[in-house]
Amino acid sequence: MIVPMKKVLLVALREDREALARALQRVGEVMPVDPEGDLSGKSENRDAIRAEQALKVVRQYQGKQSLFAQRPQVQYGEFVTKNQAAEELLERIESLSAEHDVISAEIAGLQGKIQELLPWMPMDIPVEEIGSTRYAGVRCGYVDRSRTDEARQTAEDGGGMLELLDSGPQGTAALLYTWLPGEEDLLRAMTAAGFSQAAPPGGKGLPKEICDGYQAQIAKLETRKEEIAGELTELSKRKAELEILEDQSRAEGAREDTPFGETVETVFLEGSVRADRTERVEKAVAKVTDCCVLTFRDPEEGEVPPTVTQNNRFISQFETITDMFSRPSNGELDPNPVMGPWYWIIFGLMMGDAGYGLMMLVGIWAFKKLKKPRGDFGKLVNVLFFSSFTTIFWGIIFGSYFGETWHPILFAPLDNPMGMLVFCMIIGVLHIFSGMVMKMVEDAKAGHFWDGVFDQLSWMLLITGLGLLFLPVTRTVGMVLAIVGAAIILLTAGRAKKGIFGKLIGGLGGLYNITSYMSDILSYSRILALALASGVVGMVMNLLAGMVQGSVIGFIFSLLIYVVGHVFNLAMGLLSAYVHDSRLQYIEFFNKFYEGGGYAFRPLCIDPKYVEVVDNKDSN
Amino acid sequence: MSTGLVIAIIGAFLAAALPGIGSAYGVQIGGQAAAGVVSEKPELFGKLLVLQALPGTQGIYGFLTAVLIMVRTGLLGGGAVALTNEQGWAFFFAALPMALVGLLSAVSQGKAAVAAIHMTAKQPDSSAKGITMTALVETYAILALLVSVLLIFVGIQL
Repeated sequence: MIVPMKKVLLVALREDREALARALQRVGEVMPVDPEGDLSGKSENRDAIRAEQALKVVRQYQGKQSLFAQRPQVQYGEFVTKNQAAEELLERIESLSAEHDVISAEIAGLQGKIQELLPWMPMDIPVEEIGSTRYAGVRCGYVDRSRTDEARQTAEDGGGMLELLDSGPQGTAALLYTWLPGEEDLLRAMTAAGFSQAAPPGGKGLPKEICDGYQAQIAKLETRKEEIAGELTELSKRKAELEILEDQSRAEGAREDTPFGETVETVFLEGSVRADRTERVEKAVAKVTDCCVLTFRDPEEGEVPPTVTQNNRFISQFETITDMFSRPSNGELDPNPVMGPWYWIIFGLMMGDAGYGLMMLVGIWAFKKLKKPRGDFGKLVNVLFFSSFTTIFWGIIFGSYFGETWHPILFAPLDNPMGMLVFCMIIGVLHIFSGMVMKMVEDAKAGHFWDGVFDQLSWMLLITGLGLLFLPVTRTVGMVLAIVGAAIILLTAGRAKKGIFGKLIGGLGGLYNITSYMSDILSYSRILALALASGVVGMVMNLLAGMVQGSVIGFIFSLLIYVVGHVFNLAMGLLSAYVHDSRLQYIEFFNKFYEGGGYAFRPLCIDPKYVEVVDNKDSN
Repeated sequence: MSTGLVIAIIGAFLAAALPGIGSAYGVQIGGQAAAGVVSEKPELFGKLLVLQALPGTQGIYGFLTAVLIMVRTGLLGGGAVALTNEQGWAFFFAALPMALVGLLSAVSQGKAAVAAIHMTAKQPDSSAKGITMTALVETYAILALLVSVLLIFVGIQL
């Protein structure tokens, strides 16, 4: 069901703002509304971002994490006071990581220089001594690697000499000796021959010595880098402190962002609260101050409060399926109590294999134990977990065990596809009818009882009647039902239209809707298709495995085929069942009555990412 | 082996091959789009994988159709039936709905999946809506599969 909401208005003195925000956050029952009505635009707390960055750094250095790690528990009192040591830790990690980055950049720079120097290594002149004499010029440069011979020849023809060194990415390094008076002509000829002048490499001494110097620097930097890595690895053991710090900063940010409106002396806050939890808010505020005004009122016409759905443990897991489509809006019927069981049953039908159901049951149970999924994902996992029971149930009914047929209670879909098709259609009709009943209830609640009879009951009569026509025994009953239903539709579908002609045409148009009902019902044939798909693929895997079972090696190989084949089939089956079951709910079922369009209730609360905050609310 | 049986095998071949090609293409373009998104938002991998896998089902349906033809004609588990030419053609045309619709719908669904992947990249919370939109394309492959399966199992008398 959808919980009724109240609007809350709190007016208090300015100096109590922080204390009130703390109290409201602790009780976690009020969703504040910005005085300007803007719900978005939350700024992130700066410390939270810093802690998140530091955590990213530290995670690279931590060792293997235990699969069974539990979320650490923190007392509320501890949670609200920031730990000095953690902040120091944060600063230390930040400075270390910054230094690490600088060193990495320096090393990369040095390595670049070494790369540049490599072609010059054979040169036996100290770099700084390269220069022209009175008559001879010395030029450094690179020659196109494929044209070295041509360049050498050109140099000698022009009265100079070219000394080739090693090759590098820019070409072959070369020294060009020239006779100064004729240098210009030679240089021009050399450029044409693929020689490009370049500055001599940087540094002092022989290229080899310079290179050794760089290497030594790199080694030194690497040692420092290792020291830093060591310290970070050591610090990564205190990761938990950082995680708490991030959660604390986030909570603090949420408090600071609470959209209090302000006057000179007072602050005020508007928000939504569950109608059955107003007392908790009163208590929390009373603890802080008695100098305030706290009023609750019902939402006015046009005000749409957030939606909170409250269902039992089973149904509430299926809320995630509805929420992915659209959250129910406040004031509408909650579809979950009807949708949930249908989703559960149809999922099992689509999988339809007791063996796969058992695999799901064990696999998802283990996953839940190990990973403890939370939030919407956790709900989805629970939906799959519950559905493993219906999968086993339908598997037994249809006698399907890992794709093999064994003593079906009803019939095996592979032996009797027509029977299965009819069965799926009947499930579909019942599913659609339940949606139409929901619409009738909504109509009746809104005071339009007869709308429900004219638009929903008439169709239910017509469809049931048409269905009964197929059985010889019930043919007469079916005929009567179908005629009554069709007559009601013909007479009432045009009731909103004006004039006798409008009403008549409206009635005929209404009857034309039979096509959309037919396509809705036919859509349930996908249950048969999916059940067949997983059944037959499983059967083929068994067949393949059976074919290789000739020898010992073949037997071992067949085990591999069993495991891989059935796990693959199960995974594909799960994906298809999840997608197509959702589709049947969203399009065939919700189409009949559901509007949606609500938004979530996100109260100001402590919502930690890493830790569990334990709060014994009555203790202080 | 009778000519009829060969014609039926050609039908099974088409049912397995064409939707398989279509699915491979659909999953491929989905994978390209998803890889691009994951390079910037690695946390979306799980959601995108579902979207990428959606056009893959046609290949399985086609495979299913081919296997059913093999089962019905006795090619699996010994004792192949000597089909007449008419029966062979009947199997051939029974395979065609799945073969053709499977091929084309997998390609179309792949394109829808790419669009849904782009939407998920911008609004990760809408991934379920993207899945639904993409899954709508598959309806027609399912209908084709049903026609093929019913023809193979119920329609054709041996």
